[in-house]
Amino acid sequence: MKKHKISPSQWTLFGLSLIAVLVLAAVLFRGTGGERIKPAAPVRAGEEPSATAPARESKSVQLFFLSEDDNYLHPEKREIPAGPSVVEEADLTIRELIRGSDKGYISPLPPETKLRQLFVTKDGTAYVDFSREIMEKHPSGSSAELATVYSIVNTLAFNFKPIKKVFILVEGSEKETLGGHINLSRPFVPLFSLNAR
Amino acid sequence: MIALNRTTAKRLAFFSLLFFSLLAISSAQPTLQVSAEDHDGYNRAIVAVPFSLPFELEKDGNLLLVRLTSRVSFRLRTEPVKSRLIKGLSWAKTNNLYIIIIEARHERFRYDSFKVENKNQLVIDFYELAAPPAPQEKAAEAQPAPPAAEEKKEPPAPQDLIPVEGDPLAAKGIRTIVIDPGHGGLEYGAKGKFGTLEKDITLAVSLRLRTLIEKNLAYHVELTRDRDMDVSLENRAAIANNHRAELFISVHANSSYRSKASGSETFFLSLNATDEDSRRLAYLENNSADLEKPLSSKDQDDIQMILWDMAQSAYLKQSQRLAEIIQDELNALLGTRDRGIKQAPFKVLTGVACPAVLVESAFISNPQEERELAQAAFQENVAQAIYRGLVRYIKLLS
Repeated sequence: MKKHKISPSQWTLFGLSLIAVLVLAAVLFRGTGGERIKPAAPVRAGEEPSATAPARESKSVQLFFLSEDDNYLHPEKREIPAGPSVVEEADLTIRELIRGSDKGYISPLPPETKLRQLFVTKDGTAYVDFSREIMEKHPSGSSAELATVYSIVNTLAFNFKPIKKVFILVEGSEKETLGGHINLSRPFVPLFSLNAR
Repeated sequence: MIALNRTTAKRLAFFSLLFFSLLAISSAQPTLQVSAEDHDGYNRAIVAVPFSLPFELEKDGNLLLVRLTSRVSFRLRTEPVKSRLIKGLSWAKTNNLYIIIIEARHERFRYDSFKVENKNQLVIDFYELAAPPAPQEKAAEAQPAPPAAEEKKEPPAPQDLIPVEGDPLAAKGIRTIVIDPGHGGLEYGAKGKFGTLEKDITLAVSLRLRTLIEKNLAYHVELTRDRDMDVSLENRAAIANNHRAELFISVHANSSYRSKASGSETFFLSLNATDEDSRRLAYLENNSADLEKPLSSKDQDDIQMILWDMAQSAYLKQSQRLAEIIQDELNALLGTRDRGIKQAPFKVLTGVACPAVLVESAFISNPQEERELAQAAFQENVAQAIYRGLVRYIKLLS
């Protein structure tokens, strides 16, 4: 008699809920699949570096700036929230570099510049995509362009071992130069000889 | 949602990157187009290049070799051959020399060539000769237009080299120095506090330098611009290569974020070489013999891309020497602070296929040097210093 308790309508209900569960599982699974890929891109939702770091450990990085006294790039220590991956840390570091020096060094990046995107490919190339101001507000000139490029490249390569070369993009695409001099159409390897000792 | 947007944005960035690099590759590669087609009484081959180039023709058995020298690398495009006499088209290349091989079905032909100037085409007409009876070979050579090939066309072409004039100066053995006044037009370069523009200084110095060279040296000077106009960085290199320049001097005025920065410096190219680049260069060095054989078209594209990309890499040692000598003269004559010679990845130097340097005379961003740069006397001194450097370098070579 008990067997008769499962009516056809109950079967249908059971079938439907099974499908629903499967669909839900598939959606969730795909969701987590996406999450797994995500660490290649900055995960932070907020634009302010401090917004995401309530209880996170901090990491100290060296930013490289110009000094009025010589032609070298000078390190300045800065604390940033640590992790979760190199990409997030590199992203924050570049934002700090744009923000400029606390010690009176000269920042060779126009302060209006925004970091649009930063990602690191498997072969260790960091693609750093800046807003148009990095070109439009740039004073041009060989020395000025070299300073801009190598403060970015040396800062990234000095602090992050996985970053071997840096490709500078502007508004999402490859540009010839910032102001008519230094070639941006190839990735840069760091030039640590420019760093002050 | 944000994560999703970022992923999409990242993909977009990747694709736009891919797109732009493909665009760059395709635009950096001029095409050399060869076609062959039969006409009434003759078989015509046409070699079309994007700009005027010197050609040489040589008949070798059943082959006709078209040699052309270009420091710019080409991509070859052949059209299907529609000819009774011409069997096939292929090519080979070494660094500067391209050899287009037109293969005929037999060696009994003569040819005639002319250039269509406005189209940069070399037109070669083939006339089939009657199969000569065995002993008459001498006669056939003396009278290369036997009845079978009778045409209104005039005297037969000699069978050895016919130099077809491309760059008239190079053909006459006149040597060229290309001077590149930095910036120009809307792109004015750096700007001083008093409003001095880099593009004006570079032009003024370059014009003075041209006068000095043409007055005193047996060199022709070609300027990448002789007035205030825009010239792309790639075209500046192309101008040097198309004129088969022996030396390339790019004249600039420096600018720094540091207002105190002062002095002059001379740059030569740094490749900014990654491991991958070093591998490519090593490949080229190890396989230069292979380059003399005809390559499959796919290989050709790869290899020429590298050659174009790194034209300057073959001249780095000479460029360094030239930079040292010019810097030495700048120090002696200017009294500005010596910042030495440096290596940097300058876009304008990468494609230049001869010793090439970029001279930063002084800092337009330094108010005192800006004032000096604007003075005729200082400009003349800069030109003099570069000129003396050139003279010393040329002497060193000879």
